[in-house]
Amino acid sequence: MKIQVFAILKDFFKKEFEFKTSVHTIADLRVALALINPEATAVLKLCRFAVQDEMVTDHYPLTGNEHVLVIPPSSGG
Amino acid sequence: MFWLFHLAAEGNMDFITKKQIDLVALLQKSHCPTAGAVVLFSGEVRNHNIGKAVKHLEYEAHAGMATKMIAEILLAARNRWNLSIAYAQHRIGKVKVTESAVVVITASVHRGEAYASNRYIIDRIKHEVPIWKCEHFTDGSKEWGGNCNCHTETGDPNKHLYEFKVL
Repeated sequence: MKIQVFAILKDFFKKEFEFKTSVHTIADLRVALALINPEATAVLKLCRFAVQDEMVTDHYPLTGNEHVLVIPPSSGG
Repeated sequence: MFWLFHLAAEGNMDFITKKQIDLVALLQKSHCPTAGAVVLFSGEVRNHNIGKAVKHLEYEAHAGMATKMIAEILLAARNRWNLSIAYAQHRIGKVKVTESAVVVITASVHRGEAYASNRYIIDRIKHEVPIWKCEHFTDGSKEWGGNCNCHTETGDPNKHLYEFKVL
């Protein structure tokens, strides 16, 4: 699946990358990303995730073909 | 009167923009025969934060999601307060001190609804919409905006004032 990160997460990951490890849910993906870069763990815990530009919950099932957005806490305004 | 904006009819529908926000021009377009009150909020870049001198801010957004979410927020506000006008625009890219980073305009029959709805819209934009701020300081350091400030109200960094819409 394709992973796209934003804002502070670009300090920890490439802006876009292919993620080939098998994960079944968003919750699994959150843990797997933290294992890739443990320094990002605290931020990842607060992130929301979106699939095909729609927000999803931790239970959302992944097939491996998705485009997943990792969305840090908003700080607009 | 088309509620979302006569602004829209004039090709000014961008909720996310790279251009400098023209507050005067937007206000000029925000007068409506059904509204006795117009409120314009401008969130502007100040020259200091956390004890450091700010050089400028840099905003990033997922423009597609942000546009859709802002439209939903404006629609919710319009329905709740029966607004004549509900409009918001957030800038992305480099924003200098004193420039506007975000503007919210509401218009209603009386001022109470215009004030309340304006506060509702800006709070939801700040807390929910995928827009991020990076502060650049005069000493050369930078800091991402990081968390929203919901935890100051809720006491829990994982609990936000507004529930996010999820599938």
